[in-house]
Formats: sequence, structure tokens, C-alpha cells
Amino acid sequence: MLQIKPIISTLMRNKSGPILLLIQIVLSVAIVANASFIISERLNLMARDSGIAESEVFDFSVYNFDSDIYFSAQNSRDMQTIRDLPGVIAATTTSMTPLSGGGWMSGFMAGETEETAKTSHAAIYYGDEQMVKTLGVKLIAGRNFYEEEIQQEIPDRANRAIVTQAFATEVWGDAPAVGQIMYAADFGEEPVEVVGVIETLQGAWVNSDELENSVILNVELAFPFTKFLVRAEEGTLAQLKEAIPAALHKDNINRVINDFSLISEHRKRVYRNHELMATVLSMMVVLLLLITSLGLAGMVMFNIERRTKQIGTRRALGAKKRDILSFFLVENYIICIIGGVIGGLVAMQLGQQLMSIYSLPKLDPVYPLATIAGLIVLTTFAVILPARKAANISPAIATRSV
Amino acid sequence: MFFYYLDLAWRSIKKTPFMSLLMVLAISIGIGITITTLNIYQMASINPAGERSSKLFEVRLWSQGVDSWDELNEQITYQDSFNLRNSPVPVRQTPMFRTGFAVQTEDPDFTPILESARVTDSDFFGLFSVPFLYGGAWEAQVDQEAAYQVVISEDLNKEIFKGENSVGRTLYFNQKPYQVVGVTKTWNPSPKYYDVNNGAFNDAERIFVPYSLAPIEEYQSWGNNQSWKNESLNTYADRLASEAHWNQYWVELENPEQVRVYKEWLASYVEQQKLIGRFEMPNASGELADVEQWLKINNVVPEDNKVLVGLSALFLLVCLVNMLGLLLAKFLKRAPEVGVRRAIGASRSQIFSQHMVEVGLIGFCGGLLGLLWAWGSLSMLSVHFELEDALTQLDMSMWVLAPSIAVLAALVAGIYPAWRICSTNPSVHLKSQ
Repeated sequence: MLQIKPIISTLMRNKSGPILLLIQIVLSVAIVANASFIISERLNLMARDSGIAESEVFDFSVYNFDSDIYFSAQNSRDMQTIRDLPGVIAATTTSMTPLSGGGWMSGFMAGETEETAKTSHAAIYYGDEQMVKTLGVKLIAGRNFYEEEIQQEIPDRANRAIVTQAFATEVWGDAPAVGQIMYAADFGEEPVEVVGVIETLQGAWVNSDELENSVILNVELAFPFTKFLVRAEEGTLAQLKEAIPAALHKDNINRVINDFSLISEHRKRVYRNHELMATVLSMMVVLLLLITSLGLAGMVMFNIERRTKQIGTRRALGAKKRDILSFFLVENYIICIIGGVIGGLVAMQLGQQLMSIYSLPKLDPVYPLATIAGLIVLTTFAVILPARKAANISPAIATRSV
Repeated sequence: MFFYYLDLAWRSIKKTPFMSLLMVLAISIGIGITITTLNIYQMASINPAGERSSKLFEVRLWSQGVDSWDELNEQITYQDSFNLRNSPVPVRQTPMFRTGFAVQTEDPDFTPILESARVTDSDFFGLFSVPFLYGGAWEAQVDQEAAYQVVISEDLNKEIFKGENSVGRTLYFNQKPYQVVGVTKTWNPSPKYYDVNNGAFNDAERIFVPYSLAPIEEYQSWGNNQSWKNESLNTYADRLASEAHWNQYWVELENPEQVRVYKEWLASYVEQQKLIGRFEMPNASGELADVEQWLKINNVVPEDNKVLVGLSALFLLVCLVNMLGLLLAKFLKRAPEVGVRRAIGASRSQIFSQHMVEVGLIGFCGGLLGLLWAWGSLSMLSVHFELEDALTQLDMSMWVLAPSIAVLAALVAGIYPAWRICSTNPSVHLKSQ
């Protein structure tokens, strides 16, 4: 028998304690549900595939401060030098590094007529025929650039493109992208032909809605400041960090070569705020659950001491140890379930507020439900330990003392 | 009386060590979490311009054409920067942008280093109150007639000249000689409000060169370059004449009257530009934002931090409710003892204050322990996430704030239990003895 009626009347006789517990559970459910929702949302963001061989690809920059060199010839020589180094699989100059937080982005126009043409935005990688291999991205339609297609020096010269599937779908829908023409400026100006489609390649800004929209254009840029992307066997970065500047300085000493960084390091940096948020919130969730259950255990212990006489009497009248235990447990479950229901509603309301004030998505009701279930399990442990002590009280001693 | 109560409180705490420990833990963890998030928030939202905040204004222009951006850009074009310098209204004003170059010295063995630099006018230093160690800014004349002069930071001066007075010495930037005219004392506002475009928590540049050199030396822009117009920018001259936004512009205005006059001047500038075919939109205008507004416009305090502070305040509330429950249980259990004290003459207010002292003591211990937690979690976060030191150093104010919040919160939580215990009728408890 669960004796719900006497339990409720006990609760009603001494309201303040249970009400406080109720408030605590309501707040805990509201906080824990929203916090774990934000945590899992951040973890999902961080788990997205960049499409790149992140632990093999690194970037570095070269700043040429010699005023009378010819940048594009210098870049070509540098590229050859780098590709000849042991351990290097592929290399290219680039306008930007994936997941680095900074780079180039622009709109393209595509369509039948000027009126129906639409603009779509994409991250732009300027590079040569080794870009696909360097990044380790997967070509799923069309082809790579031919070596002789690569243009030199300025962005305007681009006339071939490799686009991501996400970008192709956004612009051309189900129609095949290979062979399509898009414009890098106004409609009809600077036409670019799509020659290939790659599965996934993320841009530089992980919080952008257009992260999967990327385009590789066939230009080797030539400015005083040049960025290189290199793919090398895993674990060779430390050694190449020495070898590359040495080799490039041999050709021309008047430059500064630095900022070596693996894509996996860029990833860590660019997601740092998300990881920080997830970590602090996880700390909060764990501590909150700990405090709630410790507080509950403390309260039960005090209740037991106060009710020793009552417990002893009930035992003397024939109540089994199990009955005493279940008395406290049922008491706890009643509070937990009422608190959980109210807490769930408060959680949804709080989620609504967070969504309208800040750019957070809507709270999924699974989270409050899971939190309530978790709390029920956790509080069971918090109650059982002190309640077992109560059940072990011998009726004789309990009624004699106090 | 207070010390007698303190003694009583200490004895009471010793009598129920587990319970007291629970309460101290609860409040300390609540305080620890709150202080951690509050510290990150406060460090990010600090206004480094201090009392000059309301006198310094960033200028923005709605200069874009139709079918382009639908908001004001944080930066302006070079031609606008150049023209705005003609206004006679501001006390001080300066255009600027970020660049960088390879730095060499007269010592041939010195390995060239790559340094970012700020291209700006001589007013920069006065406007932002940059302190000088040696020398000073270049002459105002240099803003009109370019000269190869440079101001460097104390830090760089130490690195290159071993901290000696380097005024008059020569440095080579991209192999061109520049004469050092000033060395600034360490100056590193955080957030870096004068240029939040390129990382609001980055360090200040260590090199400052005259803006008038930009068209001659063709300094590359090392910041964000935003363009709404499809223009071919193949030469530096194209870039200077373009509608690309890559300059920042600050003015110093003494009083509201001057602000009004400058706004009028800006409006007439916009009109004049309209006449020559720029500023095509009907809502073309010039806007000013003081430092405080500027930090807000740029969302320097990330939304994440606000969510964290809000949740941690709720967290603290849970801890307090928790503590309230424990206090209630503890105090009520002591009712018989209180009954005796009441019966031999203690007044209600004495009983009440005795219990409040006990609660306050618990709160104070919780506050101190909470500070320790906060310090620990901040150091852990800063190591694990390589955060800027500015964000994770425990702000001085927290040393006062933490125990105050803790004691205050504990007292609030203690009012109800203390009131309950002192308002019960002593005879009831005496009888039950």
C-alpha cells in the first residue's frame, strides 16, 4: 500500500519545507533543461563535417617586403620549392583558410535573364589545380581545373569554378551544376563556368548561415601578402615549420614567413566560444544537480530526526522497514512530479524568452522531460540513504528517547 | 552583543557541522558560478574610455547606393575620411585604418619582424589620451605634408632599442626609413574600442604612422574591407577613389552644442556629396555614436555572456532556496532551546538578531569559498581556452562584491526561518520538553 493520503496530510501539516523543495525543483528543471538544450545545440554545431583533411592541412603566410620583385613569378617559384619538400603531398596559394574566422566572401549572379537572375553568397577560395587535393575535398561531379586554366594575379581574371553541392543546390536546384555560367560581378559581367562539384567544403565563418556555400576560383593571387595551404603527412608540421622558411629564404631573404597553423588548430580557435559556453553550462548543470540532491538529503535527514518518535510508533504498531522507506520515497515522488510539471512549463517559458531576446532556437520539449526523469532518479538516491537509516531505528528506542 | 552572537553562531555551526557545511557549500557554489560569469561579462563590457566616453564619437555614413546594405556600415570610405578632415568643428579628429609591414633596424643581424600598424593622424594620441614615455606625436603639419615619422610603443621600444630613449633613431618599414618621434607608455584599452572591427580584444598596435603617407606608400588594409558596389580595384588609386569601406573615423566634441553643430556640418556634407552623384539613397545621412553606444552597436559583449549571467543568477536563486530549506529545518529543530531562552527573558528581537548573525556568518564563509571557486574556475577556463587575460583575471571589485552578495543573499534567505523561530510561542516548546 502506498499510503498516499497520510503522506499528503503530513505534507499539508508542515507546508514550508515541501514548498521550498518544490520551488527548488521547479527552478532546477527550468535551468537544467535550457542549459542542456544549449549545450547539445553547441555540440551539434561543432560536430559538423568541414570536408577537409583537418589534421594534415596547414596554412602559413609569406610577406614579401622587397619592392621590386614580381609577385606572381615569386609565388610560382615558392610553390615549386614547397612541393619539392619531403612529406608535402600538395600545396597551393589561397585567399583564405577554412574555419579560420577571416577571409573572402562575395555574391554571384546566375539565371537566364537579368530580371530572373538571383544572387547567392559563398566563401571564395582562389587557388590552383592542387587546391582540391590540398584540402582533401571530394569531387562528386565534373572535373578539377587543368593546370593551363590557372590565371594569375588579380581576382577579376577568374573564369572557372568548382562549387560545393550546397551552393549548387541553392543556385540551380536539381539541375546539374557542371557547365552552368555564373557572374562574379553584375549580370553578364565576369562570367565564370562551373567545371566541378565537391561534396563538402566549409567557409571561414562557422556562425554564418552560408557556411557550406563555398566556391573555388582558378586564380593564383599575387599580393605582397600571400597565404599558402599545404597538405603534408600527419605529424610533419613541426619539421616543415623549419624547412619551409629555410627553403623560401634561400630564394629571397626579404620576407617574413610565419603563422603556421593546422586546420584542426583553427577549428579549436574558431569554436572556442561555443566550447566555452558548453563547458560553463555543463559545470552549472552538474553542480546544480549536486546541490539539489545534497539539499534534499539534508532535509530528509532532519525530517527523520524530527519524526523519530512518529516512526518508532508506526514501527511498534507493525509497519515494516519497507513501509517507512516507501513513505519517504512516495513523499519525494509527489513533490518531484508536481515540481517537475510546473518546472517543465517554466522551462518552456524561459526557452521562449531566450529565443525572443537572443538568437537561440526553440527549446525542444524532450529536454524538460529528460530533466524530470533524471531528477526523479537522482532524488531517489538522495532520499534512500537517509531513509534507510530511519527504517533501521528500533521501535523500542525510538519511543523511549526524546 | 554582536560578538556574543558571533560566538553563539560559531557554537551552533560546530554543533551541526554537516548541515553547516552543506549550507556553506551551497552558497559558495552559487556565488562561485555567479562571480565567474559576472567577471567575464564585466570585463567584456567595461568602457575603457572612462569619463571621456561621452566626448568621443565614431562617425558613420549612410553612403551606399540603392539595393545594397540595409544598415549603416561600421567603417567609411577613404574619400569620405579624407573629406571629413576638413571640418573645422571637432576639437580633435582622426581617420585611421590598420596595416602592417616588415620591420627592420639599422642592425643587419636583426631578423625582420612582421608588425601590424595603425595609420592615423597626429590627433589620435590626444583624442584617445595616449600617454607618452619619450617624445610625442608628429607635428600637425605632417598630416598635410607627409613625412616618414613614426610613434612606437614602450613594448616595441624595449624589444628593438632595449628601452633607451629612441627618439630620433631610424627604423625600416618595408625597407623605407622612418624616424622615431615618440614612444608611448604602455597603452592597451580592452575592449579595443577604437577599432572593434578587427577583434575587440586584440592588443593595440605597436606602431603608428601618418595617414598622409597612405597614398604614397600604398599601405595595404589589414582589416575588413566591405564593398557594396561592383568596382574593379586593381590599383591603389582605384581603391582610394572607390566606394569600399575600410577606414574608421573618430571625432572629439566638447559639449552637446558642438555635437549639434557637427551633425549639421555632416548633413551639409552629405547634401554636397549627393550633388556630385554619391550617396544615392533617400535616407543618406551621417551618424555619431559615443563610446558607450559604439560598444553596444558592435555587440562587444557577446549574447552568450548575457545568457550565462542570467542562468547563473537563477542558479544562485536555487542555492538560496536550498539554503532557506536547510536553515528552516535546522532552526526549527532548535525550537526547544529557544523556548528556554525566551522563558528566561530573551526578547524576540534578540533571538532574531542572534539567528541573523549566524546566517550572516555562514554567508560570509560561503562568499570567501565562492571567491576561491571563481578564481579556480577562471584560471581553469583561461588555461583550457587560451582566453585573453583581460577576460579571466578576477576583477578587483569582485573581492568586495562576492562576500557582499553572499552575506546579503544569506540574510535574505535567513529572514523567514529566523522570523519563524522567534515568533513561536515559548510555552509550546517548554511543555514538550
